[in-house]
Amino acid sequence: MASNRDSNGGKTGAAQGSGGLTRRRLLQTSAATAGAAVGSGLVTGFPTVWSQKLKDVTLLHVGSSYSAIIDIARQASQDLGFKIEMQSVNGDALVNRVVTQPSTVDIADLEYWAVRKVWPRGVLQGIETAKIGRWDKISPLFTQGKYPDGREVTLEGTAPYEVQYTEEKEGNRFAAGPTDHATLLPQIYNADTLGIRPDLIGRPIESWSELLNPDFAGKVALVDIPSIGIMDVAMALEAKGEMTYADKGNMTKEEIDKTIAALIDLKRQGHFRAFWNSFDQSVNLMASGEVMIQSMWSPAVTAVRTRGIDCQYVALKEGYRAWAAGLGLMRHLDGLKLEAAYEYMNWYLSGWQGAFIARQGYYTPVLETTKAAMAPDEWGYWYMGEKAEEPVKDPYGNVMEKAGAVRDGGSYEQRMGNIACWNTVMDENVYMVRKWNEFISA
Amino acid sequence: MRTASGRRPLSFWLLTAFFVLFVLFLYGPMTAIYILSFQGPTGGLTFPMRGVSLHWFDALFGQQRTGDFAGSLERAILLALVSMAVTLVVSVAAGLAFRQRFKGASAIFYIAIASLVMPGLFVGLGISLVFQVMGVTPRWWLSGLGAHLTWTLPFGLLIMFAVFNRFNRAYEEAAIDLGATRWKTLTAVVLPILAPGLIAVGLFGFTLSYDELARSKLTVGAKNTLPLEIEAMTTSVTTPSLFALGTVTTAVSFLIIGLALGAIVMIQKRRTRRAGEA
Amino acid sequence: MQRLAPYLQVAPLTLILGVFLVVPVTMIVLVSFWSYDEFDIYPDLILDNYQWILTSPVTWSLYLKTLYYALVTWAITLLIGFTISWYLVFHVKNLIWQIGLFLLCTVPFWTSNVIRMISWIPFLGREGIFNQALMGAGLTGEPLEFLLFSDFAVILAYVHLFTLFMIVPIFNSMARIDPTLIEAAVDGGARPWQVVFEVVLPLCKTGIALGSIFVIALVMGDFVVVRTMSGGQSATVASAMMNEIALLQYPTAAAGATILLVVVTLMVAAILRVVDVRRELAG
Repeated sequence: MASNRDSNGGKTGAAQGSGGLTRRRLLQTSAATAGAAVGSGLVTGFPTVWSQKLKDVTLLHVGSSYSAIIDIARQASQDLGFKIEMQSVNGDALVNRVVTQPSTVDIADLEYWAVRKVWPRGVLQGIETAKIGRWDKISPLFTQGKYPDGREVTLEGTAPYEVQYTEEKEGNRFAAGPTDHATLLPQIYNADTLGIRPDLIGRPIESWSELLNPDFAGKVALVDIPSIGIMDVAMALEAKGEMTYADKGNMTKEEIDKTIAALIDLKRQGHFRAFWNSFDQSVNLMASGEVMIQSMWSPAVTAVRTRGIDCQYVALKEGYRAWAAGLGLMRHLDGLKLEAAYEYMNWYLSGWQGAFIARQGYYTPVLETTKAAMAPDEWGYWYMGEKAEEPVKDPYGNVMEKAGAVRDGGSYEQRMGNIACWNTVMDENVYMVRKWNEFISA
Repeated sequence: MRTASGRRPLSFWLLTAFFVLFVLFLYGPMTAIYILSFQGPTGGLTFPMRGVSLHWFDALFGQQRTGDFAGSLERAILLALVSMAVTLVVSVAAGLAFRQRFKGASAIFYIAIASLVMPGLFVGLGISLVFQVMGVTPRWWLSGLGAHLTWTLPFGLLIMFAVFNRFNRAYEEAAIDLGATRWKTLTAVVLPILAPGLIAVGLFGFTLSYDELARSKLTVGAKNTLPLEIEAMTTSVTTPSLFALGTVTTAVSFLIIGLALGAIVMIQKRRTRRAGEA
Repeated sequence: MQRLAPYLQVAPLTLILGVFLVVPVTMIVLVSFWSYDEFDIYPDLILDNYQWILTSPVTWSLYLKTLYYALVTWAITLLIGFTISWYLVFHVKNLIWQIGLFLLCTVPFWTSNVIRMISWIPFLGREGIFNQALMGAGLTGEPLEFLLFSDFAVILAYVHLFTLFMIVPIFNSMARIDPTLIEAAVDGGARPWQVVFEVVLPLCKTGIALGSIFVIALVMGDFVVVRTMSGGQSATVASAMMNEIALLQYPTAAAGATILLVVVTLMVAAILRVVDVRRELAG
């Protein structure tokens, strides 16, 4: 990573000397040789006037801080020759911003469950898949609703495939199968599970049911995002055999009632220590020993571990709760800005960003470019579930795991191939939020 | 602390102890911030310390990992300064108005109360909906400023009520009797007497705006202010840079307060001297 | 001209609040009667949003909880605010010292609330500084769990954040009290508690009323502190509405906000019935 960074530094210097155009040419040639036929065709197909003006374009990319990372914008600006600005905002503000102030956003960085709410509002425009050079290289999880080995992926919750396509460019409905227009360009995704303190628990944890195990009473935490917290509990209740759901990601009112009633019981028994709503809270809860089993995000587990505290992102037999995020084009984009946005999106799939976020533990939709952008050892650790030969470094070059470490849950196929449900908002979300508030205030 | 008459009563010491305890209570949780801001480069947001370094202060002023720290800080301070100035002028004027009877006083008073009482998020949401309907792009210095003023102005106005509370009109009347203009009376007589209250209004204007999260969320448009930037950061890996910012803020505050108090002491001395000469 | 003066003086306030408060809030109130589905919100005149809120037991328990926080916080901040103001006004007579000590109390507020919230876990947690100190001193064998993620923690944070809002108005109205009045009362044989309750308290009731309005409004509208400090296990009226906004359920949230606005305004009106702060201005 360090050498990678140095070479970027060198590039910046050169770029400042030679100006944007030359650099763009360079990029085009490299893209062409990489074999991105359609994408590079688009790039070279630009009227000259446009590519000269393109460097004056500024795009504003708005997203959550785990995905709209400023280093990505810096690298993209450097590679593309026009300016990408990033604004990171909290999740609740993000959805509201995109819906109520669409003109203040160019690229909306949304999770797939959010696009389910946002797309019908008519603030986004469909992405022409023909203009995305590597569209056919994107994981079939998104484009076909299948695992790479051809198995159907679960549709519990908001599977990206369900909301991936739209019938018309400026419509407000989703298409049942592949069309020429996509709602979002897939960007990052991951498989979430429970984080545990193996040193405090002292035995293997293999099922979601352990979340509700009375042995851990008072030392359990949940994420305080109603639509996700309730699913973690549903996973646990189902694993315990206390409930069965037709679709955990889209409960009926009756199922919501039963689940919340179970939650209220648990709360009264003092089962939960806390419900966290920020990354640091989840890290602090775990690191300080307040909690020994909880819903968690992958980089948070890493953050606990870099403090020298044992923490494990356990693989559970029922499978993972997966999520995915993508880039959306705001409807107001047109002309030059729209073309710049397409270039930016194509850049996203070209490898650098994939390698960057892989080092945070997130997956990328186009595996081959990411693989090319990573050292074989890194690829082996993050994607193949192999033992790291050298110390594992985070995106900023800091060591986060010693040599010999193996990723929790194993390879991409093992983790991302075992999805039990997807992050979502339910059809009954109004009712669910009311019941959740009842639970919190109980 | 000088009381004219020699020995201080027991109540003085008891109250001093109470005050000290209160200050300790205020700064107590802050000590964790101060100490942790000197974390070593691999340290996190909690104890234990992993070495001692200035790394995070360096990171604070250098290029940031996550987001636009320097820019958002600059915007937050600018916005707070403008809010402070507007709040001071508008609140003093309105405070003067409320010393007299005028039509609509009650309505305006209750609008100010509503401004205080309405949950901030909804003020922001309302402003953003209005801007959307009118086709105006929300910006931090326009909709953001307006949203902050709905928060700082009621505080300013109500503090002016406390300030003007049983304010002795004899001073003003004396000045006017002595032939001073109304403006002169205001600037030379009324405002100096009200100085501590005005400082409070100004400080509230600054602090409330600088720290405001709820009203900013949907009104700042494409550029974050500091609280928003920090809130956004808390959804991913946060670093002790945040704490370094707290330490720097505190240090700078003390510096400014020291300078300001020093200046006041100087001015007072000069005034006394001038009074002596006259 | 003289008769026009107050209108001119109050004009800027009216203008700013008119544009940035009255119009937006009117919008919110309108939206609270609208209907909505997954595609949009539609102008309408439905009462469903209100009906659900007013008939739901959740609403009542949310309001009870919020009122409980507000009252306890109010009582504690009033006690501290009054005492601190007393100290600053009657025992620290030098203006510079007064200002200096007052500023000392405001400095922590310039460090962002969000940052300060993060520091409570290492401070109050099971293995936090405070518990370690208690156990180190042998005062307790087990870490005290109620310190964090509890009502205690929520109120502690409220007091920490909001006492200043009580100090400022009380200090300002107390500062107008002529100290000779107190001396006269003492000379006249008044006991200390009589001085406090019968001389000073009535004279700074404006400040107390204003401080109470601030604190109650702040607590009733809070959604950040309660969420963090209770560890998400308690909710206030406003924090419950947050969940709705996050999922774009504007009409229900707007109805909730409208009700909250009415309730808290009534509370403020009640305080003003006891102390008419505007009449006091005439002095």
